Amino acid sequence: MKEKEKAEVEAYFPDLHFVVENDVVYVRGSFALMFEGRVLDRYSVELQLARNHPAGLPVVRETGGRIPRHLDRHILSNRTACVLIPDERWRLWPVGTSLLKYLTGPLHSFFLAQATVEEGRPWPFGQWAHGAKGTFQFYRELLNTSDLRMMTAYLDYLAAKKVKGHWPCPCRNGKKLRDCHVNQIKELRKNISRKDAERSLAILKVAGESAIEMTEANAPQ
Amino acid sequence: MTADEYLKDVLASQAMGDDSEQVKALQKHRADVEKLIRDTFEDTALTIRYAGSKAKGTMNKESYDLDIISYVSSDDNTAGETLEDIYNNHKSALAKKYYVEPKGSALRLKGCDAENLGVDFHIDVVPGRFTDETQTDAYLYQSGGDKKRLKTNLDVHLDHVRDSGVIDAIRLAKLWKVRNALPLRTFVLELAVIKLLENKKNKSLSTQMEHFWTELRDNSANLTVEDPANPNGNDLSKCLDDNLKSQLAAAAKRTLDQIDSSGWEAVYGKTEKQEKAARVEILRRAATVATPSRPWLPEE
Repeated sequence: MKEKEKAEVEAYFPDLHFVVENDVVYVRGSFALMFEGRVLDRYSVELQLARNHPAGLPVVRETGGRIPRHLDRHILSNRTACVLIPDERWRLWPVGTSLLKYLTGPLHSFFLAQATVEEGRPWPFGQWAHGAKGTFQFYRELLNTSDLRMMTAYLDYLAAKKVKGHWPCPCRNGKKLRDCHVNQIKELRKNISRKDAERSLAILKVAGESAIEMTEANAPQ
Repeated sequence: MTADEYLKDVLASQAMGDDSEQVKALQKHRADVEKLIRDTFEDTALTIRYAGSKAKGTMNKESYDLDIISYVSSDDNTAGETLEDIYNNHKSALAKKYYVEPKGSALRLKGCDAENLGVDFHIDVVPGRFTDETQTDAYLYQSGGDKKRLKTNLDVHLDHVRDSGVIDAIRLAKLWKVRNALPLRTFVLELAVIKLLENKKNKSLSTQMEHFWTELRDNSANLTVEDPANPNGNDLSKCLDDNLKSQLAAAAKRTLDQIDSSGWEAVYGKTEKQEKAARVEILRRAATVATPSRPWLPEE
């Protein structure tokens, strides 16, 4: 990790400290939830930076035990916080942006949401349903379709090493890709990594139709 | 929010349920203290009962206590020949486990081990002796003052406060006393509130409090209180001397001026409910400028 990036984080969050253990970089300390120049709240955190940082997402742990280790609070029993759906990373923390952007962007929003929920209020930005249902929700919003077969067809193309123009369009209207949604596929392939697409495809294939059976009534918003 | 709604919120924020940490801690210490006393005076016919603000229903988070009454029978000398002996023997027994601070007729318990050194447990042990076999009135030792013996009656005291009809006003007055650091015995304050509001029981809480402070401001020189357990025998005038009356009058004037100029919040501050509402509002505002980001969980 670059010294400049570290210095940038330490200047903004003086209570976060970088530690290297077994060649893994950890950022530990008190995460200040800032608004209008003042600290609204604090959470004790540990960020384990990916070995391929900044390409990979950091693993975030809430170490203070303040947030219940409960799935509905998006905290796993091993204290890991599920900050975002990786497929959405390009919108929240695009590859190439600094760690500080991650801290002041999605991580800030995550703890802001936790503080809000702690006050008995709903999630301010909503939440994705857990597991396959959340993956389905995400792609339903992104592709504007509830057709699981169309969704997996798109994901097949996002997960493929290469995509050819003569292949059928995933929108399943019978046209060739080059004559239909080729630009959309190009844009999506630029934003969503093959690895994330592969993972989501596998999740949706395993879940099958049960991912769709989720109704608005039982889906977290 | 009206003044009365605000005052109810103040009281709610000061309430201590049975499952609160403070009450649980009191209950644990209560059991420990009772065992310590009974083990020490195992040959003594002891009556141990609980009083204090919890028993009276006047408990506030900011000022609460538990009185543990430990009375020996009128014909029993095993815990001590005299009232002073009984008091000192209780003090010695409690000192095995606590730092004991003599306080009038009571013994205040504080922590003495490394973990709780000096920690106030909010427990007063009140040793005494029943006056006769009816076990109603009791004599207490008074460690300070000219008169070394005080006649009292626990049930009369409890009933006098519990049945006063002005419990909420008493709780607010106690909070006022604590926040203004007024050196007035709580029991004397309770008697003063009950007396001054005798004809105001049906008024709103804010009216009662304003009347209470107005009386203190304008007529504190004439204020007297009587111990309901021994109206003629116990002289409480020393607990309410001229110096203290002047302090009460000044504090009451200041409080009424604050209400007049800045409203009730100037007296008791923001309530938890108001603070929570303000926090929710600032979190909401912060969310409007944050990156909308939804958490997800990879597994169900």
